[in-house]
Amino acid sequence: MTTAAIIFILLWLVTFVAGQLLFKRAMDLSSAIGFRSRRTLAVLAAGILVMTISFCLNLGLLQRFDLSYLYPFQGSSIIIITLLAAIILKEKLTPRLMIGTLLITAGVVLVSMS
Amino acid sequence: MTNHRPSGFANPWFQFVLNVIGVVVYELLLKAGAAATADPAKSWSWFGINALASPLTWLAIAVIIVDLVIWLYILRYIPLSIAFPLSRTVDVLVPVSCWLVLRETISPLRWCGIALVIVGLVIVAKPAAELEERL
Repeated sequence: MTTAAIIFILLWLVTFVAGQLLFKRAMDLSSAIGFRSRRTLAVLAAGILVMTISFCLNLGLLQRFDLSYLYPFQGSSIIIITLLAAIILKEKLTPRLMIGTLLITAGVVLVSMS
Repeated sequence: MTNHRPSGFANPWFQFVLNVIGVVVYELLLKAGAAATADPAKSWSWFGINALASPLTWLAIAVIIVDLVIWLYILRYIPLSIAFPLSRTVDVLVPVSCWLVLRETISPLRWCGIALVIVGLVIVAKPAAELEERL
């Protein structure tokens, strides 16, 4: 794996995770202060922008690597998103949810290794 | 959770199933579109722009946009820390549908991975069910 590949895979991961967190924040805001509020729309727009960048990076990666090669990285996003949702968005994280999420992540990595 | 859960077509869990089907469809379309236009020799192709030359990619984008609207709707009702892990049902559905439809073989190790994901999904589904009771 080249340095460029590592950088682009990391960029893709970071933008993907950030996009999901922005989406959830936007929808929380929409429940709290309304969908048409300027703040809700700003966060949603930021989410869409970041997700679009992530999408293009994903296409570039798919042209170079098999989907199965990229899957472990996508798998790691599950645990990262769950942790950051708890830390940043103050969602309740039970040990049960944590164990389930870890198993899903491990399973996704195993699927792509074989 | 100020919203009470809508029923029928607007039920977030029904929309969740639609969303997962959408992800499976667009993942396959994207891979097909990207593969049809692959030209790794060009350095700017890291940004994936040339994949837009394939109509399959545009079809995938259309599915993604619909899927995004559904996803945002789901996030209004379900915490991200539950919705996102559960959305990885696709990691079971994609290989299994490749096995069923495309007659691809799945190695024993891969079956183990699929089994782990299913166990994890069942464990995460419990807090999701509890959330449902509170709604």
